[in-house]
Amino acid sequence: MRDWRFTVRQLVKNPLSLLGIIIIFIFIGIAIFAPLIAPTPERYEDRPYMIPRDGYWAAPQPPDEDHPFGTTMGQYDIFYGVIWGTRSAFRVGLVVIGVVLLIGIALGSLAGYFGGIIDEIIMRITDIFLAFPALILAMAIVAALGPSLKTVMIALAVVSWPSYARLIRGDILQVREEDYIEASRGLGASSGRVILRHALPNAIYPTLIMASLDIGAIVLAAAALSFLGLGAPEGYADWGQLTSFARNWIVGPPGNPLKYWYAVTIPGLFILFFVLGWNLLGDAFRDIFDPRLARR
Amino acid sequence: MQLRAYIVRRLLLLIPVLFGVTLFIFGITMLFSPTARAMLFIRDPKQLANIPALIELYGLDQPFVVQYGNWIGQVFQGNLGYSKIVSMPVGDAIVNFLPATLELAIFATPLIILAGILLGTTAAAHKDKPLDHGTRVVAILGWSLPTFWLGLMLIMIFYGFITGFLPPGRLSVQMDLLVSAAPFVRYTRINTIDAILNLNGPVLLDALRHLVLPVITLSVVNVAFIMRLMRSSMLESLGKGYILTARAKGLSERVVNKHARRNALIPVITVSGYLFAALANGVVITETIFNYKGLSWWAWQSAINLDIPAILGFAMFNAFLFVLVNLVVDILYTRVDPRVRLGEAVQ
Amino acid sequence: MKDLLKIRDLSVRFYTYEGIVHAIDDLDLDIRQGETLGIVGETGSGKSMTALAILRLVPYPGKIESGSIVFSGRDSGGELELLKLRDDKMRAIRGDKISMVFQEPGAALNPVFSIGSQISEVFLLHRRQELGRRAKERIDNLLRDGSGFASALSRPFWRWQRRLYSKIAEEPHALEPRLLNRLPLFRRLLGRLRDEASLLTVNMLKGVEIPDAARVAAHYPHELSGGMKQRAVIAMALACSPELLIADEPTTSLDVTIQAQMLELFRRIKADKGASILFITHNLGVASEVCDRLAVMYAGRLCEVCTIEELFLHPLHPYTKALLDAVPIPGKELQTIPGALADAFNPPPGCRFHPRCPNATPLCQQDRPKLKEVGKDHMVACYLF
Repeated sequence: MRDWRFTVRQLVKNPLSLLGIIIIFIFIGIAIFAPLIAPTPERYEDRPYMIPRDGYWAAPQPPDEDHPFGTTMGQYDIFYGVIWGTRSAFRVGLVVIGVVLLIGIALGSLAGYFGGIIDEIIMRITDIFLAFPALILAMAIVAALGPSLKTVMIALAVVSWPSYARLIRGDILQVREEDYIEASRGLGASSGRVILRHALPNAIYPTLIMASLDIGAIVLAAAALSFLGLGAPEGYADWGQLTSFARNWIVGPPGNPLKYWYAVTIPGLFILFFVLGWNLLGDAFRDIFDPRLARR
Repeated sequence: MQLRAYIVRRLLLLIPVLFGVTLFIFGITMLFSPTARAMLFIRDPKQLANIPALIELYGLDQPFVVQYGNWIGQVFQGNLGYSKIVSMPVGDAIVNFLPATLELAIFATPLIILAGILLGTTAAAHKDKPLDHGTRVVAILGWSLPTFWLGLMLIMIFYGFITGFLPPGRLSVQMDLLVSAAPFVRYTRINTIDAILNLNGPVLLDALRHLVLPVITLSVVNVAFIMRLMRSSMLESLGKGYILTARAKGLSERVVNKHARRNALIPVITVSGYLFAALANGVVITETIFNYKGLSWWAWQSAINLDIPAILGFAMFNAFLFVLVNLVVDILYTRVDPRVRLGEAVQ
Repeated sequence: MKDLLKIRDLSVRFYTYEGIVHAIDDLDLDIRQGETLGIVGETGSGKSMTALAILRLVPYPGKIESGSIVFSGRDSGGELELLKLRDDKMRAIRGDKISMVFQEPGAALNPVFSIGSQISEVFLLHRRQELGRRAKERIDNLLRDGSGFASALSRPFWRWQRRLYSKIAEEPHALEPRLLNRLPLFRRLLGRLRDEASLLTVNMLKGVEIPDAARVAAHYPHELSGGMKQRAVIAMALACSPELLIADEPTTSLDVTIQAQMLELFRRIKADKGASILFITHNLGVASEVCDRLAVMYAGRLCEVCTIEELFLHPLHPYTKALLDAVPIPGKELQTIPGALADAFNPPPGCRFHPRCPNATPLCQQDRPKLKEVGKDHMVACYLF
């Protein structure tokens, strides 16, 4: 109990983590109130995640009354895109982290607790996954299954679980040898499962927190995939997708090279701040949980 | 154990890893029907009729083991397959595209490691003071940047706004022509090194100019990572008993930091191995945006177009590199930490 | 006998998240020339903190709140107020005039540097002039006796080195040699200093009875046993013949047979070097082996200070008596001290020991008893006297 209060106090004291918390809350707000902030036009009502188009011209148009952030290539409204993109971002991030944690905890604790051949097999499997550059493997998976946000989530989950399984396994290994486990067994604790109920919470609590905060990294990777054309379909409200439209419009005509700055900068800034918020929080937690730094 | 024996032993471990990786990928491709896989060989609908023939030709309906066996057999004969997207054998493709990626890695890695170590040590030395918070903000910011966005922004500013200052691509058009013809000799196909070897200043400058933006894009994210690690490692090191002894001996803070740093570098070295993996990822986006036709660019194209031989070839090459880098890291480890001997498990 | 070190009204407080800890509370203590003073107490009594306070190495979040520590060394030029000394002057004293041996030799040594290099470090820092002088002499010998082609070629080089070393012999931190030492290629020029330091190091190791000293110097800490490591640490502390050697539980982490050897070593150091030793321990038996006088601490305060004979023959303070009673003797029923250690954050008012004292009076709860001289060289802080 005292531990929790200490943690929260540390978080609030630190200006960086406070900033992170504020940023995250702002984004949560945007995601929840998206329909109010950027209402879906009537003709798109059954497909709220498709960004409304105002024409078919290629060149992006600068911000004006109708389009607060301007439009990008193909006249997609940037404002609508980034607001609803927040929802996509949260969806991808939460789903992937959730799945990855489940798999990671399951396999990691199996490997850590039982050791032996089970451990070996699971470790070799993670080795194989880790020997391949994550992004490329993800790309291959998305390409094979057909690009869409769903396959992006699958691909990212497949690519990310090995590291977490390893982390959880490490935690279990650490706790397994602790005296109180030995003591529980000595007192006749019924089965390994009961001990896991004691051991697991202590061991994985920090890892869980850290993993949740990796949602930023997941969203970043998803954006990268979308940017490369391997994610959400064209016109979908997704930050990476939105940025990819700007690829051919980075440099404007000579004399006004920054003409189309909004097409690139705005979606990118949304990604940046989203990830920044989670990373600030994650950084603060890392400091708090670091067992090597004394908790004073 | 002896260094040579250790190296040989580690390289032998490469084989099961290679088997594992390729089996895995092969396995995934086997999830598709023979028809679907045959489809990958044709380029236009007119050739649809040829599918049965293709299946026959490439043995696409044979059992998994047979197909895998065939492929392995081919590999041992030096035939890694043909990469359709770049229209050259896989082996040639690797040799062709490697130098570009290597060039980026050569410039980015030392930059990342040095900057990270420097920033991390500074942050640790001024813990909780403005300098610590400042470097951390910069680091976290760098870490949160989407690589592709950073690349685009950099191009926008340094190529668009400051017109033509730092261009994308590997070389400007004229230099490219110069480099591809005699008397310029392409020893390594790494432009900067070749330029030095040819004693050609202008080419060197041009190549460097083209390297600035991609290297920065690559480095920013990773510097943050290393810096964070170095900082916490230094803080742990500074809390150890021998630091108190060092102070009790009357050593100045500078020398005390030297004592701490030596120990703090140990985990950083381990991580450098993973840095390589991180670079392999970041390079894809960098190569795409800056039009750098390197290994990752080729891997991306093969991934999108499901060029199976290319994917397999790249996977093997990457696994090989992975094992090699880990080997180097482990050996370095023993040099820095006298407690670790070759062949012992690293904590 | 003059006092080597005078501590007066020393207070050290720790500002932690959970509260303020008074680690040391208005301490008065004297260490005399050539004596071995022991500080005995339980964990948390403040004995280690006293040692750290003398060297001004109190770790965060601790702070030396008030008091004075006056050091009257032989070559230190009169009396030095250690707590007010400038940082660089304090560093000059650490390792040279006052040095410390810690409890865990394994933790005290840096695992990535060899034993020899860590000891040489002390010489290179504090005895630079001496090293410079010796290096210069060696070159003088080379110049004098050297003959043949190779030495003829090397002569100008030697002369240059000789000049450098002369400079160092006069002014240990002379500018030119220091600059050259920073430049990577020229660092070799000053290699002779390191060689001379190594010679002195090996001598030191021999002095603490480490066999095969030259080979051991090249080893790393993890390659030595606990006893050897502790000897090496002692060698490191004695390198510059300090006037005060502080030993913080030096034998606690060693097994009993090694302990005996270590105590013998300390006795020899006492006899040979004539230095004063501040010996911190929680073990009365160990204390009786090496110490001349003993100070008993409890909860950051002194209870009793007297000679070792007096302590065992006429212990006065109830805590001291309880400690002596608690020593296990075969056949005798095990005595413990009732109650628990004083709470660090909320210590008992008045005399810290009164909740556990069989002779407590109401007065003991109110004001803190002052340290009083009640016999020949025997001081107690208790209302019974």
